[in-house]
Amino acid sequence: MTQTENTAVSFTGAVKTYGEVRAVDGIDLEIARGETVALLGRNGAGKSTTIALLLGLLEPDTGTVALFGAPPERSVRAGRVGAMLQEARAVPRVTVGELVSFVASRYPAPLPVAQALELAGIAELTGRRVDRLSGGQLQRVRFAVALAGNPALLVLDEPTAALDVEARHAFWDSMRAYAHRGHTVLFSTHYLEEADAHADRIVVVDRGRIVADGTGEELRRAAGGNLVSFDLAGQGTDGLALLPGVRSVEVLGGRARLRTDDSDATVIALAGLGAIRGLEVVRASLDDAFLALTSRPTETSPPSETSRPSKVELV
Amino acid sequence: MSDYLRLEVRRTLRDTGFVIGGIAMPVMMYLLFTNIGENDGAWKTASMVGMAAYGAVGSALNTGGAVAEDRAVGWLRQLRVTPMTPRQVVTGRALTGAVTVLPAIVAVLAAGGLVNGVRLAAWQWAVITLLLWLGSIPFTLLGLGNGYRLTGPATGVANMVCNLGLAVVGGLWFPITLFPDWLRSLSAYTPTNRFAQLGTSVADGHSPAPGAMLVLAAWLLAFGSYAVLSYRRSAENI
Repeated sequence: MTQTENTAVSFTGAVKTYGEVRAVDGIDLEIARGETVALLGRNGAGKSTTIALLLGLLEPDTGTVALFGAPPERSVRAGRVGAMLQEARAVPRVTVGELVSFVASRYPAPLPVAQALELAGIAELTGRRVDRLSGGQLQRVRFAVALAGNPALLVLDEPTAALDVEARHAFWDSMRAYAHRGHTVLFSTHYLEEADAHADRIVVVDRGRIVADGTGEELRRAAGGNLVSFDLAGQGTDGLALLPGVRSVEVLGGRARLRTDDSDATVIALAGLGAIRGLEVVRASLDDAFLALTSRPTETSPPSETSRPSKVELV
Repeated sequence: MSDYLRLEVRRTLRDTGFVIGGIAMPVMMYLLFTNIGENDGAWKTASMVGMAAYGAVGSALNTGGAVAEDRAVGWLRQLRVTPMTPRQVVTGRALTGAVTVLPAIVAVLAAGGLVNGVRLAAWQWAVITLLLWLGSIPFTLLGLGNGYRLTGPATGVANMVCNLGLAVVGGLWFPITLFPDWLRSLSAYTPTNRFAQLGTSVADGHSPAPGAMLVLAAWLLAFGSYAVLSYRRSAENI
């Protein structure tokens, strides 16, 4: 297969602005066929705009977006894409079976309707009116609608927002079953654990940019493998950012928190400064990694870094 | 396309508001307006056509209400991420409008023939039905224009104002002979008046006046452009 044929999603310098707001501010992204990718970010980070560009619902102001080497609209028309959009409500006056079989019949090679309903865990709801379902049931109907056409690329915008814990587990099982058929899946979420548990790869978006891209483990490492914290005891933070290994410095309740690539070197340097009161070294969690990667401009950053967190470079 | 049409027609006919407001109401109003006080046969026929037209206009506008609703719940957006083209969706919607105006027309004409004893030749029944059916197209376009431009509640209000205003001024409810002169001259330029005239001419045994065709064609153009402009304006936000 050529590079293009093997690429499901490709963003090149995509920008989308709304007035002054740069909702998507220069995104470059390649997703290979068969990958399961999480788009992780806070609310308002640009995930939904990114997905709208990807689906051809919006046109980028500059840059390009391609699905399977073609403009998004063309790939959507060709039936290679299925999507579960955010904030969609119930379609009034239609049954689950009618809705799913209608959508399936739009696609050239759909799943059998019974199978789509089964995968989404709503086989028993076939005859029910969509507008009389609970929020969780509706969410699964929308999932069934997304996968009914057996699309090569399944796009899910915050798919678990209305689900309780049990339904969430069932949902991810279904999603993985679909991905295991060799399909490409892209989902957005602001839950770290979901991204870590269910995606091969996590793309972290913040303020319209990709700030990190890798596996959960790589993100943890990239964000600074360890956190070294100690009581400042009235001392200033001058120079802490320049200590060996230190990537960022935060002060919380009189304690300095140093994110470091090399905690041993950092601790030795701190010992040299005599700054070891209440010293603690812990492994950075994925939460810490996420916070570090998407840190707000108001938080302290070391002078050696730019105001934006550096992008994780992966081979 | 026919699948989409079938789905949307089914959804429309499940709408209690549509069945009561769009089909039952015109029938009841027709029977009421022609059976209180003294009425001659001519009024029973003229009112039959007028109320069938009123029902058709209401049903046609309802298509726009359905579009506004589908936009609000995200169904039109969902369709955009299926292989359906926007053109297919709009055409399917317009055809849905064309199909769903028929029950109102048929129901009022049936009430005229079966309950009020209106007697017309078979060809007259057929041609009246056909003309009222075709003549409702401008109103479907008006409804679509509202539905693509306005929010759901605003579309409901706009459709109701258009429906009642055009029905009354157009003489669908009361004969325009009761109107003052100025209103009667205004009435001749309304699409509803000319729409009903298509039917009343045939009921009187002659073909529709060229004036009626001309005024309706002008409204078809106006409402058609309105629908296209509204659609273009909303296309990115669907």
